Amino acid sequence: MYLTGWTALLAALGAVPAMWSTGRSFAWAWVLGVLALAAIDAWIAPRATDVGVRRNAPRAVRLTESTTAGLEIANLSRRRMRLSLRDAWQPSAGAGDTRHRLRLAAGEAAVLHTTLTPTRRGDRVADRVTVRISGPMRLAGRQRSIEAPGVVRVLPEFASRRHLPSRLARLREIDGQSAVQLKGAGAEFDSLREYVIGDDVRSLDWRASARRGEVLVRTYRPERDRRVLTVLDTSRLSAARVGDAPRLDAGIEATLLLSALAARAGDRVQVTAFDRSERARVAGMTGPAMMPALADALATVQPALIEPDWPAVARLVQGRLSQRALVVILTTVDVSAVDSGLLDTVRALTREHVVVVASVEDPEEAAMLAGREDVTAVYGAAAAARSALERDTVAMRLRQLGAEVVQAGPDDLAPAVADRYLALKAAGRL
Amino acid sequence: MSVDYARAEARPSLARRARRRPALVVVAVLFVVVIVLLVWSSKPQDYTAFSPENTAGDGARAAAEILRTQGVEVRKAESLGSTRIGDPATTTLVIAEPHLLQEFQVEALLDYPGDLVTLGVDDATLRLANTGLVSTYADATTVSLASCRAEDALAAQQVEAGPWGVSGTPAQGVTTCFPTDRGAATYVDLERDAGRLTILASPEIVTNDRLAQEGNAALTLRTLGRHPSVVWYVADGFDSSVPTWEGGDGIAPPEAVPVSPDFLPPGTLPAAFALGLAVLVTAMWRARRFGPLVREPLPVVVRASEATRGRARLYRRARAAGRAGAAMRAHAARNIGPRLGVPRTAGADALVDAICRATGRNRADVTDLLYGPPPASDADLMTLTTELDRLESEVHRP
Repeated sequence: MYLTGWTALLAALGAVPAMWSTGRSFAWAWVLGVLALAAIDAWIAPRATDVGVRRNAPRAVRLTESTTAGLEIANLSRRRMRLSLRDAWQPSAGAGDTRHRLRLAAGEAAVLHTTLTPTRRGDRVADRVTVRISGPMRLAGRQRSIEAPGVVRVLPEFASRRHLPSRLARLREIDGQSAVQLKGAGAEFDSLREYVIGDDVRSLDWRASARRGEVLVRTYRPERDRRVLTVLDTSRLSAARVGDAPRLDAGIEATLLLSALAARAGDRVQVTAFDRSERARVAGMTGPAMMPALADALATVQPALIEPDWPAVARLVQGRLSQRALVVILTTVDVSAVDSGLLDTVRALTREHVVVVASVEDPEEAAMLAGREDVTAVYGAAAAARSALERDTVAMRLRQLGAEVVQAGPDDLAPAVADRYLALKAAGRL
Repeated sequence: MSVDYARAEARPSLARRARRRPALVVVAVLFVVVIVLLVWSSKPQDYTAFSPENTAGDGARAAAEILRTQGVEVRKAESLGSTRIGDPATTTLVIAEPHLLQEFQVEALLDYPGDLVTLGVDDATLRLANTGLVSTYADATTVSLASCRAEDALAAQQVEAGPWGVSGTPAQGVTTCFPTDRGAATYVDLERDAGRLTILASPEIVTNDRLAQEGNAALTLRTLGRHPSVVWYVADGFDSSVPTWEGGDGIAPPEAVPVSPDFLPPGTLPAAFALGLAVLVTAMWRARRFGPLVREPLPVVVRASEATRGRARLYRRARAAGRAGAAMRAHAARNIGPRLGVPRTAGADALVDAICRATGRNRADVTDLLYGPPPASDADLMTLTTELDRLESEVHRP
């Protein structure tokens, strides 16, 4: 049961006749009478069990974009209903106007729309639908909440997709498909063609020239069908907030851009999100189905407040890859990497694979490093300098082990990783 | 109509729920019955001072009850108009706190054709009754002897007098008793044309707290118990009526009653009460939530730079200027080295040489700046930082 403002107004109107009364009995009688009237009104209102609801939520929406969730509501009774309704979503689903009013004739159904602008990645769930059925006098009515589960999967924003066209153009240059000549690009044999003046004499294929009677040169192109495995670290360090989002989100952006680029370049993309167990996995997907599957799998990955199990990562990677591949580890280069076993894992992986360790830098620390206003700021700068030196040391150790290290701010990490991938590809190191 | 709509579960009816939990119903019914009984049986507690129904220390219930057991009928009047005395000759009219009465009410009271007792003293009564006395106030209460010829006072022998009293020269026929050493009296007795007027200038004598002290009880009971019935009125300042009695018309109240500013129209209080109840209803309207709150699992939000900030605070609290200076120097060397093509593995000399070549600075200065003694104070640290910044900018200049 619920009361309306009309009941309160009616109760307040009792003050007018109360002015001609003595004592408090009239006021009590008036208010109790009004409440009794409201109770009767609620009692004769249509039953709440005669309201049917059905959700028609969209399956997925990209973060920062809006969508509308449908809600079908049906009057299953033989009476007219005057309803108000709250379509409750969890706050981060960003539901705009959740309250609706409508009248339904007997047996009639209507579809209501609630605009959702999610503010966070992951599965955003709908809560109960609360229905208020007004009584005929509008003084009160029945209220019930109906379980109506619904989920909208909020996909990663993939803001770094704006970097994709320029990287694809670069890829085509390496590939030789664009007009730009690029000597020495790639390592994979493509075809033989006649020598023209200006070609590198070192690329002459003497055996073929002897057989054909004309001078032939070998042409190369970048390798295709290489394996690219991205390991996304979802452990404790990925939970720290850099800018407005956790580190993990920057890692997801980098994963998406790298995977999109590698898939276009003809490589086989695998992605795994790991801390102590595997949180998400995408493998064996090719073509246009790969990116939606990847976004869907990474949408629900959340940072876990536990230490990463790096030896398990090494075993997992070696189990997944049977031949030489590019392994991109998206984690945080930090002094704790020494204790946690990242160095040993990288050492083990670099024996067979090309390893890139990518780390999200904190722009706040760069700001601290430049602080000179007072003693406090200078101490902050010293602390930031000490952290930077420590990270440098770890990065140097990683490089000594043969890994490539990419360190960039949250917005620059994705293009930086993509550029490193292109550089490796152009150098024929994959 | 499709069948896959989600619907609210039908709740068991009230009767079925009651049948399932009979004990709950019994408890609820008992609760309601007890509450109703308590409300029904409880009279509003009387907290008015000198009221014959007030059982607190400043009430006069004890005196009234003793009078009742002695066969005196004590009636409390809510207003002067409701006194409605049947036989003034056998009824004592008791007025508590007479200073709250208005002058026309005092005039009307003095016309009362029977015995009049005031618990308390006010100058209007003293003046209009031609006693020749005025009221006085002393800080202390003292025990004083009767020292007069009035029978009631002699029977009481001595009472606690004060702090209020009367002083001055009494007029003809006015008896004052219980004088204090400051010359104030506490008991005034005089014969009017209509009947006797007795003034108990210190009304505390009749209160429950003090009735048992000295001769207080004797004085009280003798003064109030002269006649078989007592009408007791406690003045409250809001009553503008005049006393009424059989055969008398009293004095008509004046047309314009001087009222105090907070004297509100008659229906105000009931209307305000009704509005108060309406506020409760409004609260019931607003308090009902439109569905339950929705839970939001919040992510852990810790800034990545938190550890660095903590370290900065530690440096500052420990005044670790030396340690901070070492970090700044190492960072500067790390920035300058690659710029000048000095590998990390090269020693300090190689770096200093390269810097001297690039900037043309004195070798001793550069060595002192990068590898000198650690800064000892905050000021030294600031100076060192500025110097290092200048060196870096010189190196970075093309």
